Amino acid sequence: MTMHEEWTDRLSEYLDGELSADEQRALESHLRTCAPCAAVLNDLKRVVARAQAAGTAARPPQADLWAGIAERIDASRTWAAGAGPVDNVTSFRGRAPRRIAFTLAQLAAAAIVIAAVSGGVAWQVAQPGRPEGLHYNSPEPSANPRSGRDTSSADLQVRPDDVHIETVGLADAQYDAAVADLEKALKTGRGKLDSSTIAVVEHNLEIIDQAINQAREALVGDPANTYLNSHLVEARRRKLDLLRRATALTTDMD
Amino acid sequence: MTLSGETPVRSGLDADVALAAGGDTSAFERLYQANVGRIHSLTRRMLGSHEADEVTQDIFVRTWQKLGQFRGESAFSTWLHRLAVNVVIEKRRSFAIQRERMTDDVNALDMLTVPAGRADLTVDFEHAIEQLPPGAREIFVLHDVEGYKHREIAVMLDIATGTSKRQLHRARMLMRKHLGGL
Repeated sequence: MTMHEEWTDRLSEYLDGELSADEQRALESHLRTCAPCAAVLNDLKRVVARAQAAGTAARPPQADLWAGIAERIDASRTWAAGAGPVDNVTSFRGRAPRRIAFTLAQLAAAAIVIAAVSGGVAWQVAQPGRPEGLHYNSPEPSANPRSGRDTSSADLQVRPDDVHIETVGLADAQYDAAVADLEKALKTGRGKLDSSTIAVVEHNLEIIDQAINQAREALVGDPANTYLNSHLVEARRRKLDLLRRATALTTDMD
Repeated sequence: MTLSGETPVRSGLDADVALAAGGDTSAFERLYQANVGRIHSLTRRMLGSHEADEVTQDIFVRTWQKLGQFRGESAFSTWLHRLAVNVVIEKRRSFAIQRERMTDDVNALDMLTVPAGRADLTVDFEHAIEQLPPGAREIFVLHDVEGYKHREIAVMLDIATGTSKRQLHRARMLMRKHLGGL
């Protein structure tokens, strides 16, 4: 590392006042003779200033999320009202101040249902004609923003015995169709991308496919594992996202 | 702000916190409306816009569940913000393995996607934050946007203070590059 690089790497500490007095003097001496370092310091000051300004400018979500929150609060109350005395795992607050708890089986069931609902969102947002990519929220205020479809309170009250692991693949056909559409569009437009971009896209798709396959294989041996289910849903969503972005690139080049 | 100007606002918020803790969802909705912008901005910057809506909902549901633990020792917004940071960090950890495997390359894609001829396009600052690699992004947001100190970030993320400083500098340099010619 050259003396110049050494000081460049310490410009943030200088900016934040975290250098010792001796180091600060030495850096200031360097800055007087090194225009590139002085320029970098000025840029860093502007980055920090913009970050601080961003911190005071909160931007609300595009869709109102309250309906989904209220629904989940109500669902927890409904659950709480119907739950019997079980092992203490997680407590929920309701109107009544009494302590309510759920068994691991109940929590696992809820997590699987939520993973399934998320999977449903993944294919739904990728349907042709959807103007923006992956949004979890439906623009319709009456719909559940979390799931992108109508109320899920019934899902949340499902009994463990009613849960089948197949629900994770709830939207397999639609998901596969969405992926196929995007892959076709990408294939059509790939001539508009340079080779390095194509290589990056394909490399990432390969990694994501590996993650999907590994999660599916692991689920065969441990179908009730909520982490694996959520991992699978997330990997599938990422694949759709990457395909959508890559396809968008081909249209940007038009 | 004068005391006379501050008191009614705080009283209203305090009342809503007390009402919400007693089970009043209308009061809780007012707390939500007053704070959702800041919380959603935090989640969007830390996790990306794809995750922000869902995690914001998670945060407010968690807040509802934990309202009984709020003792009023700090402002409600401060307590909520810290709770939100904790939820966001939990979420990040739950996806850590996948992110380690994929994100750097995915973000490399973003760096490649601005054709040279279009480099004059104004790149949105928020979008630039989203393009940062996860480790650098969360520290940039916590330090430069949210105002946490390195020692606080080190505790939150269970990392060394020096790591926090290095990642912050890395993030700033990437932001400088990504925003080219600020």
